[in-house]
Formats: sequence, C-alpha cells, structure tokens
Amino acid sequence: MRARARHGGLWLWTAVVIAYMLVPIVVVVLYSFNSTRSLQTFGGFSTRWYEEFLADDELRASLWVSLKLAVLTVIGATVLGTLLAFGLVRYRGRFGGSANILMLLPMVTPEIILGVSLLLLFSQVLALDSGFTTLVIAHITFSLSFVTVIVRSRLVALGPDLEEAAQDLGATPLQALRLVVIPNLLPAIVGGMLLTFAISFDDFTVSFFNSGIGEQPLPVRIYTQIKFGISPAINAVGATLFAVTLLTLALALLVPRLLGRGGRGESSLGSIGDVV
Amino acid sequence: MRRQRFWGLFLLPGGIWLLVFFLLPMAVVFGVSVGTVDELGRPLEVFGVPPIVGAHWENWERVLDDDTILRPILRSFAYAGASTLLSLAIAYPVAYTIARYGGRWKALLLILVILPFWVNYLVRTYAWLVLLGDDGFVNGALDLAGLGPYQLTNRGLAVVMGLTYSFLPFMILPIYASIDRIDPRLIEAGKDLYGTAAATFRHVTLPLTQQGILAGCVLNFLPGFGDFITADLLGGPGVFMIGNVIQLQFLGEGEWPYGAVLTFMLIPLLMVVMVWYLRSSARAARQVGRA
Repeated sequence: MRARARHGGLWLWTAVVIAYMLVPIVVVVLYSFNSTRSLQTFGGFSTRWYEEFLADDELRASLWVSLKLAVLTVIGATVLGTLLAFGLVRYRGRFGGSANILMLLPMVTPEIILGVSLLLLFSQVLALDSGFTTLVIAHITFSLSFVTVIVRSRLVALGPDLEEAAQDLGATPLQALRLVVIPNLLPAIVGGMLLTFAISFDDFTVSFFNSGIGEQPLPVRIYTQIKFGISPAINAVGATLFAVTLLTLALALLVPRLLGRGGRGESSLGSIGDVV
Repeated sequence: MRRQRFWGLFLLPGGIWLLVFFLLPMAVVFGVSVGTVDELGRPLEVFGVPPIVGAHWENWERVLDDDTILRPILRSFAYAGASTLLSLAIAYPVAYTIARYGGRWKALLLILVILPFWVNYLVRTYAWLVLLGDDGFVNGALDLAGLGPYQLTNRGLAVVMGLTYSFLPFMILPIYASIDRIDPRLIEAGKDLYGTAAATFRHVTLPLTQQGILAGCVLNFLPGFGDFITADLLGGPGVFMIGNVIQLQFLGEGEWPYGAVLTFMLIPLLMVVMVWYLRSSARAARQVGRA
C-alpha cells in the first residue's frame, strides 16, 4: 500500500512536469487561432493570424528560403554523411580515430561558436558575403554528423555477413554494395534525411550569424519581429513551424517502416537515442 | 591493404568538409582575435597580416583588463549551472517513472517529453514571453485573482527557468535510457538483501545511471553556457550572458576582434568538458564490454 502511494507521488510529479513542458506549446497553438489580439483571453476561433502571416511578403519569402535551404542541406549532408559513415566503419587505418572525433565534435559544439567561426571564415578568408550560399554551407556543416551517426549504427548492425554471402554467390563487390547493402541502409538514410530537414528548418543560431539582410530563414525573421514586439501573427508562424517539423518527424517514423525490408521499422527516432 | 585504401577514400569528402568548415574556422577565430580593426570595428587584416610579426594582442589585453566582461562570464556559469541542476532534479523522477512504471504508455510518454524539443527554439522561448510578459497569460490570471501585475521577465530567474525548460528533454532522455537498461532483477536483489528502497536506490540504481546523468548534465550545460536567446528575450541587458556579449560584438555595434577573443576563450573551456565527457563515456562503454 505504501509502495503504491509512493508511485502515486512519482506519477503526479511526472504529470506536472509533462504539463509544464506542454503548456507553452498549447498556448502558442491556441492563441494562433484567437480572433482577438489578446494574449490573455480567447475571443473565439479565427484564422486571421494565418492570413496575416501569408499576406506578409517578408514572412512568405522567409518560409521559401527556409524550405529551399532545408532541401539543399539534406542533399549535401546525406551524401557527405553517408560516405563518411562507410569510411568510419570499414576503414581500419590510423586516421580512423581522428576522423571519428572530428565527426562527433560539431554535434557537441555550442552553436554560437559554429556560427561565429563560420562567419569569420566566410568574410575573412573566402571573401563570401553572408547570403544563401553561406547558409547552405553552414547548415551542411552542423547536420552531416547526424546522418553519419544514424547510417553508421545501421551499417554496424547490418554486419558483413549479407555482403559476403552476395559475393560468394558471384556478385562483384560493387554489385553487392548496390543490390544488398544500400537497400538495407535505405531506412536509416531516409531517417537521417528527414531528421536533417527538421534540424535545418528549425535552426536559428547558426543561421542568425550567417544570413544576410536579403535572404533570412523563417526563425531569423521571427527574431526580428519579436524584437519589434509581440504580435499574435508570430503565434501563427510558430505553430506553422511546429506543424512542418512534426510532419517531417512523423514521416521519419513511418517511411523507414514502409521501406523497411527486414528493417523491422527501425527508425531515426531510435537513432536519436544513439545521437544523445 | 588495397581495400583499406579504398574505404579510406570514403572518409575524404566529409573529412575534408569538416576540416575546412569546422576546424579551419576555429583557427580563423584566433587569427581575427589578434587582428586590427577599421573605424567600423571590422577586421582590417586577415590573420593580422603580417601574421606573426605584427600580431595585435591588445584585443586580448583588453579582455583580460576589462572587469565588465567578468560579470557575463560568471553569469553564464551560474545560470547554466543552476539550470542544469534544476533540470536534473526535475528530470530524474520523470525518467525513473517512465522507465520503471511506464508499461505500455512508455512510447507515448516519451513522445510527450520530446515534443517541446521540436518546437522551434525561438518560438519556445517566445512562448514564455507570452506567458510571463507584463500583459501575458500569468499576469492576466493573477489579475483575475486581484493580484499583480508582477514583473516576471527581465530577471535572472526568468533566464534560469527558460534555459531549464529548453534543455529538459536532453536531461530526461539519456537518464531514461540508462534506467531502462538496468536489469530489474538487480533492483529486486537489492531489496532481497534487505536494502531499504532508499538504500537500494543509492547503492544500485544511482551508480548504474551515472552515465546517463553525466550525459544529461553535459547536454544541458554546454548549450546553456553558450546560449544568448534566452537572456536576450526573457532577460535583458542587466542579466546578459557571455553569448549576448559575443552576439553584440558581431551583429550589434561591437568590434569583431574583441568578439573573436571572447569566442576563442569559450572554445578550450568547452572542449575540456566535451573531451572529458567523450573519454568517460568511452571508458564506461569499455567497462560494460568487459563485464
């Protein structure tokens, strides 16, 4: 009986903490549909703040920049990250350890250091003005490690057996790679792509240091607007960002399951655990 | 041997990318920190050319002489440290409950806990502004009760709370993972050996979750220390952290070399924490492997 009461306390605490974690989200989504300006009372359902968001040229342009940026980042990070995963798993030479550390460091480096150091590289060494190009390079830099970690864990789990079997049955090494290994890695690669999309689409700090005045991704634009004062339209932008991210993550959970040839639906969310 | 060289080639594109766009920029930060500036505070010479002969250390001297920079640095330590401890205290029971008693609700509870992480970081902090602001939700509720309005933002406490909130999922997840891995029989064995619940927790559960606690603390402290958005939006100039000072140097009306000095000072500080963490988790992995 006492044990049950103690669990009751734990559950109560858990419920309170989860509520605390969800309240800000609920508030933003709820008030994005508020018919009045107020942030204290709910005047009724309306989509006027979404209309205001889409009627705003700057915000619409920024949404477009964010989407283009995320797509290019996904392409670059997936190619570089997947190759790196192969190298890290299969190369047994003396640069393997250093390459591994070099790959892990960007994931734990505070974003402000990444942002500032890239800004200085672009402006002082490469003579590149902040703009869309610098954003793409910066985003690929901080996201390629995530692809590597996810693909690598799948590659390790896969083991060499299947590939060796294919070669025993007469496949060339390249055929074995193309017909056996790559299809088996596909769930992890797609999971990595979707995670990269979400991370890039959501990034603020690195973008903040590396976007010019012209092409600003949505989070950077929101910052400027918040600085001008709170407007309910920002709730609508925030809710939209959240919806896009959730959709991407839902896909990250589902797509590998649909593609999962023997993948047992191992998804990128499981691999996020590896990343952490 | 030829195979080795073949797979080594796969390291090149990503490896070179990270060398050029991750490691080299760190060196450039140092280069700019010893460079000179024009009237606008922008660096004049790349790497202070001629680099070694004419290195300008006055930027560094300025930082070391300047007492005003000490406060934001101390605040970063204090706020990031306090929010990490607070986060640990909040997260441990939650992770424990989900891992040990979650049953078939485990997946759902985990999703709920991770959800805030996927709300844009800026929007998350902004939401607290909406809640705690002078004419925000909380003051509205207090007003109905005939209280307030209170000034809830613009103070250190608001910054600590914002940081705690932002990184809480990073505390819950690794601790959850480490508790989930514990064989329940170990905990039962503790009780069979007449350990009280508290003793079993202290001698069995806690040591086994050390790695998760460590990971959670690092994942809270590092981003918290470099953070500037929370203090910018929920705090104000009175409670600025080192990240705010750096941001102002580059995107405000500051001086780039001065900002470069501050950024470069952060690198070794944070590297120590990171390397220590990577090594201790590698050691833990080896111990698990041996057992």
